[in-house]
Amino acid sequence: MSAAFSRRVDAALADPILKLAIDRTAGTAEAKRALAVDGFAHFEQARTRAAAIKDHVVAHLGHYLEHFEASATAAGAQVHYARTADEACAIVIGICKAAGARTVARSKSMLGEEIGLPHALAEAGIGRIETDLAEHIIQLADERPSHIVWPAMHKTREQVSALFKQHHTAPHTEETIPAMAESARRHLRQGMLGADVGISGANFLIADSGAVCTVTNEGNAELSLVPPRVHIVTAGIEKLVPSMGHAAQLLRLLARSATGATLTQYTTFYTGPKRAADPDGPEAMHIVLIDNGRVKMRDEGLAEMLRCIRCGACMNHCVVFRQIGGHAYGGTYPGPMGAVLTPALDGLAASRDLPNACTLNGKCQEVCPVKIPLPTLLRGWREKSWREGLEPATMRQGIGAWAWVAQRPRLYRAAVRAAIFAMRRFGRGWIRALPLARGWTAHRDLPAPDAESFMSRYARGER
Amino acid sequence: MNAREEILGALGTAAPPPGAADALLADPVRPSVAEDRVAAFLAALALPASGATHARIGSVADAPAAVARYLAEHGLPPAVFLPDDPRFAADWSGFALSLAITPDEPAVIAWARLGIAESGSLVFETGPHAPMLPNFLGLHHIVLLREAAIVSHLEDAALPGPQPRAHYWVTGVSGTTDIEGQYIRGAHGPRFLHVLLVGED
Repeated sequence: MSAAFSRRVDAALADPILKLAIDRTAGTAEAKRALAVDGFAHFEQARTRAAAIKDHVVAHLGHYLEHFEASATAAGAQVHYARTADEACAIVIGICKAAGARTVARSKSMLGEEIGLPHALAEAGIGRIETDLAEHIIQLADERPSHIVWPAMHKTREQVSALFKQHHTAPHTEETIPAMAESARRHLRQGMLGADVGISGANFLIADSGAVCTVTNEGNAELSLVPPRVHIVTAGIEKLVPSMGHAAQLLRLLARSATGATLTQYTTFYTGPKRAADPDGPEAMHIVLIDNGRVKMRDEGLAEMLRCIRCGACMNHCVVFRQIGGHAYGGTYPGPMGAVLTPALDGLAASRDLPNACTLNGKCQEVCPVKIPLPTLLRGWREKSWREGLEPATMRQGIGAWAWVAQRPRLYRAAVRAAIFAMRRFGRGWIRALPLARGWTAHRDLPAPDAESFMSRYARGER
Repeated sequence: MNAREEILGALGTAAPPPGAADALLADPVRPSVAEDRVAAFLAALALPASGATHARIGSVADAPAAVARYLAEHGLPPAVFLPDDPRFAADWSGFALSLAITPDEPAVIAWARLGIAESGSLVFETGPHAPMLPNFLGLHHIVLLREAAIVSHLEDAALPGPQPRAHYWVTGVSGTTDIEGQYIRGAHGPRFLHVLLVGED
C-alpha cells in the first residue's frame, strides 16, 4: 500500500464521526433501494435490458455522437468536442468570457469535478455558485465530494451549522436540519437568479432529439439553468441514448438504485435555447462533449464501465466504502466504480492501491443497475499492475519465490512440513504473534496448522 | 486534427444494424399500471415520496374557487402567479395576480399536459404561454390536469414532433436528503404540490 493511501485510510478509520455519518446516509439508501427493487416485479430483466441499451450505444458511440450533434444543432444548440479535461475547461471558460460572465450557477455534475471545472473557473476569476445543497456545503468547506449522489455525506449537522453561520448572511437561529436547509434556500436563491451562466452535466443525451436530460430532487438544476443568459452542458460521450424511450428505461433504474424512489422529483429534457416567443430560458445553449479517456477505456477492456449511470449503489453496498468513506479513495469517483475509473483517469501507477482495496465480495456487481462486472474489472487492473511491474519489490519477490517453489512438488512439500513445524512453535490452537506476519497478527489471531498436511495424510492412504 | 475529427475517427461512425435500437424499445420492462389509470395516478401522487394532495373539479371554471379554498386552508391570502395562458380562462377576479414572477412567490398555478400513472408525475413543456421558472420558485405549486390526460407509463409522455426548449416531469416537491440523510421538503423549490384534477366538461 502506498504511504499516501495508507495515511488517508488510517485517518478515515480513526474518525468515529465519519463512520456514523456514512452509515446514516448509505444505510438508509441501502434499505430504501431494497424496498424499491422488491416493488418492481421484473427488476432483473430491467437490468439486463438496461445493460443491453448501454452496450448498444457504446458499440456505436461515434454514430450516436454524430446523430446527437446534428439534432442538437438543428434545435439551436452549439456543440463542442473536447479530448481532454483541459480542453473541456478551456472551452467552458472561453464561452463564459465571451458572454462577459462574472458568476456562474453550477448544478452538481461529477463530470465537472472530473475535469476540474471548479478550479478552472476560480483561476479565470469567475464566481461560482454551487446550487446543489451538498455541493454548496462542500464549497463552503473547500472540500471535494465524498459520494457521487451525496457529496457531503461525511459532514454532520453540527459541521454544516457552523459553515452556514460563518458564510450565510441571514443564517438559521434554530439548530435543526430543516432550519439549516431553509437558510441555504434563502442564501442560494438570489445567487441562482442573478447568475450570468448556468452550467450543468447531463444524465442522458438523447440522440434523436438533441435533448439533454438532467435529474435532480432539489430542482436546483432548473433554477440554475432557466434564469441565466447562457446554458453550458458538460457531458461525457458515454451519456448518449438513441431516444427518450431508451432513457425512460434507464431512468426507472437510476432513481430506484440511487435513493429508492420511483423517479427523481425533477426530470428535465432541454432541447436548444429558449424559443423566440418563450417568456424565459437562456439565449444560448452550448454542449461540450468530452472524451477524457473514454475512447481508450472502450478500446482497452473497460467498455462495460461506460455503461455506468452514476447511481452510487455500488458504494452504498461496499464494505470497504462503508468503512473508509469517499475521500480516502483520493480520486473524483469513490467506491467500486471509482476504483475502476480512477486508474483509467489518473493512471494506474498513481492509483494501483484502489483495485487492491477490495474484498471481491461481489456485492457491487449484484446491485449495479447496468450489471457492470466490477470485480472482474478490478481484477483486470490488478493483473495489469503486475504485468507492468507496478507492484512493490517485496511483493514481486515473495510471489516469485512462492511460484518457484510451488512448481517443484518435493521441495514444496518439504517447505510445508518445515512451515508447520515452525508455526506450531508459536501457539496451540491460535497463534497470537508470528515473525514476518505482524501485518496479520497485530489485529487478529491466526489459527495454528494441524500437525500434518492434507498431502501427507493423502500419501499415507488416508481417504 | 481537431477534437471532433479525432474522437469520431477513433470511435468510427458506422451505423448500427437497422432495427437494433428499436428492438431495445420493444416490450419495455416496467412496473405494471392498474386498469384504472386515474386511481393509480392518485395513489402514486399520495405516496410519501411525492407527498402531493389533490382535489377534483368539474371544469376549469371551478378552478378559482378550488384554489381559493386551498389557499385559505393554508392560511394564505388569495394571491397567485397565473401564467398568461388561455387554458386558464375563468373568473379570477377574487385574486391578486402577479404579473411577473417574484423570488418569494407563495403560490404558483400551472397547467400540466399529462399525468403519468406509473410514477405520479406531471408533464410540462415550455412555450409562449408556459414559463418554466415559476414552477420552481413558488412555495405552493398548484397544477391543473385533465383527468383524460393521464397516461400509463413514462414512455407515453414523449411529445411527438419538434421539441420545445424544455420538456419536464415533476414528481412531487423539491426535496433533499443532503444533511445527514434527513428528508426535507422544499429544498429550493416548491414545498407543497396540489393537483386540481379537471373532470370531463
